[in-house]
Amino acid sequence: MVRRNKFSFLLVAVMMILSLITAACGNNSNNAPNNKPENSASNNAGAGEATEAPKKDVTITYAIWDKIQQPAMEAIAKEFTAQNPNIKVKVEVIPWGDYWTKMSAAAPAGTLPDVFWMHGGQFVTYASGKFLEPITSKVEAGEINLNDYAANLASIYTLNGENYGIPKDFDTIGLAYNKELFDQAGIAYPDDTWTYAKLAEVAKQLSQPDKGIYGFGAKMDTQTGYWNDILANGGKIITDDMSKSGYDDPASIEALQARYQMTVDGASPTHQQMTDMEATEMFKSGKLAMIFDGSWRISDIDSSDIIKGKWDWAKLPMGKAKRANIINGLGNVMSASGKNKEEAWLFLKFLGSQKAAEITAQMGAAIPAFNGTQDAWLASRPNLNLKVFTEQVADATPYPSGSTAYSVWFAKEPEIMSQVWGGAISVEEGAKKVAEMMNQAIADSK
Amino acid sequence: MHSRSRYVWAYFMIAPTLIGTMVFWGWPVIQSILLGFQHSSNFGTVNTWVGLDNYAKLFRDEEFWQNLRNTLLYVVMFVPITLVLSTLFAVLLNTKIKGVSLYRVIFFLPQVTMPAAAAMVWVVLFAQDFGLVNHLLGTRIAWLSNGNYAMLVLVIVGVWGAIGMNMLLILAGLQGIPKSLYEASDIDGAKRFNKFRYITIPMLTPTLFFTSIILFIGATQIFDSIYLIIGKTNVALPSVRSLVYAYYQNSFIYNDRNYGAAIINILLVINLALTGIQFAFQKKWVHYE
Amino acid sequence: MHTSARKAHSVVHIILIVSAVAMLIPFVWMVLTSLKTTTEATQIPIRYFPDAPSLRGYIEAIKQSEFPHYYLNTIISAVMKTVFPVIFSSMAAYAFARIRFPGSTALFVLILSVMMVPNPVFYTPQYMMMSELGLVNTVTALWIASLISPFATFLLRQFFMSISKELEEASVLDGCNPFQIYWHIMLPLVRSALVAIVIIQLQWAWNELQWPLIINSSPEKMTLSSGIATLVSMFGTDYPVLMAGAFMAVVPMIILFFLFQKQFIEGIAFSATKG
Repeated sequence: MVRRNKFSFLLVAVMMILSLITAACGNNSNNAPNNKPENSASNNAGAGEATEAPKKDVTITYAIWDKIQQPAMEAIAKEFTAQNPNIKVKVEVIPWGDYWTKMSAAAPAGTLPDVFWMHGGQFVTYASGKFLEPITSKVEAGEINLNDYAANLASIYTLNGENYGIPKDFDTIGLAYNKELFDQAGIAYPDDTWTYAKLAEVAKQLSQPDKGIYGFGAKMDTQTGYWNDILANGGKIITDDMSKSGYDDPASIEALQARYQMTVDGASPTHQQMTDMEATEMFKSGKLAMIFDGSWRISDIDSSDIIKGKWDWAKLPMGKAKRANIINGLGNVMSASGKNKEEAWLFLKFLGSQKAAEITAQMGAAIPAFNGTQDAWLASRPNLNLKVFTEQVADATPYPSGSTAYSVWFAKEPEIMSQVWGGAISVEEGAKKVAEMMNQAIADSK
Repeated sequence: MHSRSRYVWAYFMIAPTLIGTMVFWGWPVIQSILLGFQHSSNFGTVNTWVGLDNYAKLFRDEEFWQNLRNTLLYVVMFVPITLVLSTLFAVLLNTKIKGVSLYRVIFFLPQVTMPAAAAMVWVVLFAQDFGLVNHLLGTRIAWLSNGNYAMLVLVIVGVWGAIGMNMLLILAGLQGIPKSLYEASDIDGAKRFNKFRYITIPMLTPTLFFTSIILFIGATQIFDSIYLIIGKTNVALPSVRSLVYAYYQNSFIYNDRNYGAAIINILLVINLALTGIQFAFQKKWVHYE
Repeated sequence: MHTSARKAHSVVHIILIVSAVAMLIPFVWMVLTSLKTTTEATQIPIRYFPDAPSLRGYIEAIKQSEFPHYYLNTIISAVMKTVFPVIFSSMAAYAFARIRFPGSTALFVLILSVMMVPNPVFYTPQYMMMSELGLVNTVTALWIASLISPFATFLLRQFFMSISKELEEASVLDGCNPFQIYWHIMLPLVRSALVAIVIIQLQWAWNELQWPLIINSSPEKMTLSSGIATLVSMFGTDYPVLMAGAFMAVVPMIILFFLFQKQFIEGIAFSATKG
């Protein structure tokens, strides 16, 4: 903040010169007009000083994107400050919709938060740009053990042999259903035997468009939407070596078509209806019988008074090829250009500790990555069948990230797919356009 | 006093504005032009010269032409509608009727309303199932996801926010017209409409010219309402996306600030050219006393 | 009064009343929706009034965002973006209007041409500049690039040109320098123009969305407009919360407007007579 103080000083100087030359002609000391500029100058100087802090007490910033997890993250931060009284942690929520826009602006400016949530999809871009602090030496020194974390999650945050992140949690997708709407129609709840065909059939039976009630929210979404359908139908999102898009695979197109068809048939609200009111909000207000959603939405959905106690989770249905799911693991990383890296590392290490995982689990914030703490998470909401999320890890495919091209095509994909969901272009045309765009992005990134 | 020392005072007095303009506005314009000829990677930390590549890509890009058409269509609808309605209300309020000051306050209210906040209400008002607009009209139009309707919504929102200010500007212009002109025409027995056509309008042209320039420059930069009312995943986005929205999208969402700069530089050239044309043609229709 | 004139009069009234109601609908709907529950806000068929006004929207909006900071930052940047342009522009405008100096026309045209440049042209380079200065994500960044106003310079120059030269000549004889003439004699004469410019600048500064959205990401460093735009990404379609946030964002300016409506309206009208 040195520069800012210099600037304030400059302002004060300018103001002083101004007030000198504005002194009335011929020495009449009528100073009334001078007061105003001086005041504003000194106010500004005050604002500059406010950010100065004594050396020993340090405040570090921890940026996250999920406001639902904010209480848990603050509880962890509080626990950390209790152990390290001189380090305060400020938890900052930047909503997902703005998060990567802000981070990509902050990275080259050197203003990334000290510690922040990282997503597998964005990791390579930030690590290869040298914006993240490698933690390899700390791992080698045994300060932290990356084998403590489930499902090989630590490998997501490794690039060219360097470790950058500590796994925080993982998430899978489940099928949420409204028991009341099933009971009213006399239909049995979804279970492990369900197929996609069954889902479509039941969704139609449950829909009452005149009352604004629909069987399924066939939303235009990737991770909690058609990516699961595509994989279950034997299609691909992207080839395993990340060299080519899988959207134009006939099995992928078929899966997309089936989902889109539900919005046309009245088994699901239309895209516009789900834009006016998000599908999850519709489910929360009892207007949707079924929806795919991620494990991170559990406490949000359960906070609705309208469906509390009247809903539960099931596994995703079986597709033609298999039962599919997307697993993703978030990580905590630290900025390479932070001013308090030592303190940031202490906090990062604490975030990867068993204690932090236990707080995450008990508060039901997310499925913690630390081995052995997942059971506490399952018990956090005994009224819900949370097992479906941990059991489906076995069926799951990793989130298709891990390339620099990802952040480019992932930003453009929804724009093309919204043309499909809005009915402006056919599913096949849209899928081919996405594939073309993805392949171009992959080629450009080489 | 010697003129030399007067110069020094003059330079001193324009210095803050001049330096500020150069540093914060002039230099960025040069930067923006340079960015258009470069390719940046790794969030702008590595820059290489690519000549006209960005512009070549731009001119081949079907989407760019669509965005340009959208922007012009918006300008062509928004500016005249605002001018006509503002003039109409100004003329109505220039008569001796009750409640003039109340109407002025009501019409000016949208002007002091933050566009970001207003945009959020418009989304609710134009919602398909539970929106007030469809309810009052007895329709079920998907206002925001049909390209033509979405453009109409943007124009309505724009006009709603702009009428107050322009009505006041025109009202002031009306009140500046000398009464003697009307009195002279009364003697000639001119009809009400003819008085409007042959006295009011010509005398109002300087005000209309000033307001249309300001409206025009503002309208070419439409962004807020597209960002907040239409949004990223709307099927209607391609039919309403403006050049500034495309600039924002490319520079800050896709992280391609060079392509973004190329888009905005084109708008810069268009604005300068069209403003120049407006000034050139003003002699044809603007009557200064 | 003739019947035809009376008829014309009632037509005028009807047009005005209908338009006024249409202008007000968004405000009414904002307040009504902010007091509904989420279900009531999206109910089909539509309902005008909530059963029992609920403050949940306001509570959530305040809890999940930093309204005290939004207000403070907006006020700081609006004051800065008003006070400095008024001082600097009036100085420059006086010099351009009254002092003949080499290059005056060229420099004036240069400053004026900036008015024609679309604002977004500045954003990316200004962002890079802010990041070099280490000002990204600070309150200073919100206003530092807006301390000058070509528009105000242009408008004030017109006013200064319309003032008679006699007053000035007398003070030159008293030994006043041009700056003293400007400050003590000319400035008080254009007071009403200054009011107009204060109002216009204040509104621009208060309402600006794109720059605050780009430059600052910490909730504590946001303004009201970027803050409520963020509310949209945070709450999606939870309309009562969004409307509560919107209402809190517009209320200060509307109160200010009602308190000073005479100055607002006359200030704007006044600026038109010289524009």
